[in-house]
Amino acid sequence: MIDERYFKPIPLISSLSSTTQGMIAERGFLRELQAGETLVIEGMPAEYAYFLVSGSVRVIRMRRDGRMQVLARFGPGAPLNIISLLNQKKVNRASIETLTTTALLVLSASDFDYLLSHAPDFSKALLGIFAERIATITDLAAGLSLYSVRARLAKFLIELADKPDAASGWTQDEIAAHIGTVRDVVGRLLREFEAEGLIKRSRQQISLIDREGLFNQIEHEDR
Amino acid sequence: MTKTDQPIINYDRCDLCGKCVAACPVNALHMTADGPVFNQPLTCTYCTICEDICPQGAIRAPLTVRWAS
Ligand code: SF4
Ligand code: SF4
Repeated sequence: MIDERYFKPIPLISSLSSTTQGMIAERGFLRELQAGETLVIEGMPAEYAYFLVSGSVRVIRMRRDGRMQVLARFGPGAPLNIISLLNQKKVNRASIETLTTTALLVLSASDFDYLLSHAPDFSKALLGIFAERIATITDLAAGLSLYSVRARLAKFLIELADKPDAASGWTQDEIAAHIGTVRDVVGRLLREFEAEGLIKRSRQQISLIDREGLFNQIEHEDR
Repeated sequence: MTKTDQPIINYDRCDLCGKCVAACPVNALHMTADGPVFNQPLTCTYCTICEDICPQGAIRAPLTVRWAS
């Protein structure tokens, strides 16, 4: 039986009726992992749905050339591996690896199915999450055509610096996945931004120096 | 998994290919039977080349973004 206080960081679950929360508390269990552990392996049967209580994870996939590619990064509240479970083949579509110490609420595939058919608010909340993710992908697609990768990177750096609790632990691969480009381009643009005096890099830190200059990268393309 | 102000190496992902060791421009990494280790941590400049070259995604060089004060 899960203590319902673990539902708080997961809006999808904390917004459900007390009956549905009771079903989840009864059927789910908690799992804690250290940084760098693999939660889900691409290509293996999808057996569990996960909801991130704390920590962060990255979704990765092996490319045909044998190199690993980062697809996304998620923080507290995110549901994980849901599409793999809903897919008829029930195979993990990508691997998931923890980036920090991570706590997860876990539901087995059968309990997940049970909730889908017996708790309409659960199904509706999941649909809401999918709608949000589709909207995000649509925004990204729109951004790809509207803004250059230079503007997208400037925008994302500003967003990160404005949210100190989300601004740590980003690799260039993860930044690239988030703004729809590849690592080499992010690396090149960071060097350009630094040469232009917009940012300063020192070991693990990117300091944004020229607020106006960075905003100009975006506004220039809004005109 | 090591956590310092050098890049972080995940030994569970490492397949001992040695590419990071060969690519490090300042020889900060040294290969052992368990994978690369920082034999000269202070020389590491955090250039992130090892992260870039690792085919397994076993090396992460995380960054923090902030406004300059
Ligand atoms: S970050 Fe650069 S200097 Fe440091 S170990 Fe990796 S390749 Fe070498
Ligand atoms: S490049 Fe990656 S996989 Fe190869 S030895 Fe270095 S850490 Fe291990």
